[in-house]
Amino acid sequence: MFGALAALSLLAAAPSANAAEALQFRVDPAWPKTLPNSWIMGQIGGMTVDAQDNIWVLQRPRSLTDDEKGAALSPPRSMCCKPAPSVIQFDKAGNVLKSWGGPGGEGYDWPEQEHALRLDGKGNIYLAGNGAKDQMLLKFTTDGKFVKQLGKLAEPFGSKDTNSVGRVADIFYDAPSNELYLADGYGNHRVMVIDADTFAFKRMWGAYGKPPLDVTPAPALYTPDAPNFANPVHCVKIASDGLVYVCDRSNNRIQVFRKDGTFVKQFVYDKDTKGSGSTWDMQLWPDRNNTYLIVADGTNNFIRIIRREDGSVVNTFGTGGRQAGQFHWVHALAIDSEGNLYAGEVDSGKRVQKFVPNMKPQR
Amino acid sequence: MTIRKMLVAAVLASVTVVAGAQAIAAEGPPTFKVDASWPKQLPNNWVIGQIGGMTVDAQDHIWVFQRPRSLNDADKGATLTPKRSRCCAPAPSVMEFDAEGNLVQAWGGPGTHPDWPVSEHGIQLDSKGQVWLTGNSDKDAQLLQFSRDGKFMRQFGKVTPVTNSMDTKQLGSVASIAIDQAANEIFLADGYSNHRVIVLDANNLTYKRMWGAYGKQPTDMKMKNYEPEAPQFTNPVHCVKIANDGLVYVCDRTNDRIQVFQKNGTFVKQFAIRPETRGTGSSYDLAFWPDRNQTYLIIADGADNEALIVRRDDGKEVGFFGHYGRQAGQFHNIHQVVTDSKGNVYTGEVDTGMRIQKFVPSAPPVR
Repeated sequence: MFGALAALSLLAAAPSANAAEALQFRVDPAWPKTLPNSWIMGQIGGMTVDAQDNIWVLQRPRSLTDDEKGAALSPPRSMCCKPAPSVIQFDKAGNVLKSWGGPGGEGYDWPEQEHALRLDGKGNIYLAGNGAKDQMLLKFTTDGKFVKQLGKLAEPFGSKDTNSVGRVADIFYDAPSNELYLADGYGNHRVMVIDADTFAFKRMWGAYGKPPLDVTPAPALYTPDAPNFANPVHCVKIASDGLVYVCDRSNNRIQVFRKDGTFVKQFVYDKDTKGSGSTWDMQLWPDRNNTYLIVADGTNNFIRIIRREDGSVVNTFGTGGRQAGQFHWVHALAIDSEGNLYAGEVDSGKRVQKFVPNMKPQR
Repeated sequence: MTIRKMLVAAVLASVTVVAGAQAIAAEGPPTFKVDASWPKQLPNNWVIGQIGGMTVDAQDHIWVFQRPRSLNDADKGATLTPKRSRCCAPAPSVMEFDAEGNLVQAWGGPGTHPDWPVSEHGIQLDSKGQVWLTGNSDKDAQLLQFSRDGKFMRQFGKVTPVTNSMDTKQLGSVASIAIDQAANEIFLADGYSNHRVIVLDANNLTYKRMWGAYGKQPTDMKMKNYEPEAPQFTNPVHCVKIANDGLVYVCDRTNDRIQVFQKNGTFVKQFAIRPETRGTGSSYDLAFWPDRNQTYLIIADGADNEALIVRRDDGKEVGFFGHYGRQAGQFHNIHQVVTDSKGNVYTGEVDTGMRIQKFVPSAPPVR
């Protein structure tokens, strides 16, 4: 199936990496460990990894059903469970290190629906949501102390507004320039770049690097040559060579830009995919050249391993289902320095899985 | 919560015993760990829905009765017009797996028989390898018999609105089936609509006897849930299992209890299972630990989402495994539990759980 089975047999025959062998992953079902405090996780909005290879998860406590949070009801329905805080930091072994955040809180607008998180390596974490009124970006310390907010919980301001965001799906921190790149988003149709300290607007663009447009009524989805981004603009990542990768999820494509917004090229995957589209989230293989893009497809429910240079698919893994290593709406990815991949699921998926690579990234 | 702490302590203690001295492990209850590699990837782009029923045959093959119609459009995107996604297509309702997780065969499903259950639930094989099936919708008044490879043989009742617990011509949304091969009798946990155990003659599929809670005549009087002392079964009467010593175990799920009978319906005793449980109740299903005396019951608790290990002679909870959640080894609405002859435990989940899992024991059962 899509070459995944063939790759598995290769793995069995020759576990050591060699040049001819394609990058592939297998599930580590022992990760994470059972949560403490009778906690349970809801849908996984976003994930990222810190400099120590700890995994940060932004999950949605409000996506839990009464059944799942039976111990939090009055009277309790069951011994388990209670919603975990929205932000959870795991170590590589699957233990919870830190957790905080969630609906409520003074002095800021916590997202209606948690979606994006990103660290800046300086002790800060940026959060955004994709709820109908989530027109804001939040900055906290990694201990959960509020620092700063751009925009607010409100009706949409649109893709021309530079003092707010429109339901941001993904955030990337560019250390050299201290800039935040925002995949904006479920409401707006743009990539927006702001200063990470001041939140001052720097620049923005739509598909093909043109000025962003909110077209009403919304054009047909699943159109890989559409002149504008559809909703949601669902990921933004920057490779070591400075190229910016953007998931135009419902158009089944990835567009590639320079940091100034100049369009470079685009890659299209399973262009006939309907539903929620084929390009959900992406990570860069952490070797010297970021040789591969690893792309989550939550409609076809598998992960593509793509040669970054030309967009060709070199391998896939996973399929639809609830067993370990399968996916139900695989939505968010994170990757650590050793190439361990973490995948989070939404809808009723509500889990994070760890996948171990068959080779080490070469630096 | 104190109960939980005690249980955790008990389980940890038994883990230490197992690690420290394998030889005396048999004296304590077994512990289990998930084998996340079971089952293997299904062929034909298939995906499974909710797990209505499960059973194990004489070859230690695992039979799964799953619900293709519980899959949503995203799950079965490859079968939509236009096609939504590469994956997946609903698997047939009846699936036979071997202990290594290979799919041996699969058959049946909506439309394959005029009285196919509206909602798949009960499955049991008899000693000839014939497969008995029931459903739990309010139109599933039937019991169907198929050959091992899916050829229709006979039926009792049909798809028609269910009636009441005094009706001996049809059933009321049967959840579970047990077969007494020596007497050639079929015991039915009846069910999601009726409030009884009903016994049929397997030779001619005719009514033999029935009973309600405490072995009394069944009634359909309205009752509150979560009452382990209730005078009648509530809905659903969710499992019926026969031990080697002839005792019949019945899950009165939403009353958080298991009642024990002789085969003639005489009440013997009952166990309350975590009686503080609300929601859908604690006693979903049970399987016998396959040692000489069937020392333990392994109970699927789909509200707490743990598998409870309960001593069969006095109903005392001596361990548990699993936890609520979607990771491997956790459960979302654990609904079915079965054991094979080696003590492997297989579980199935409903609602959005939609998976089957295998758990391996710390030590084999002693015969």
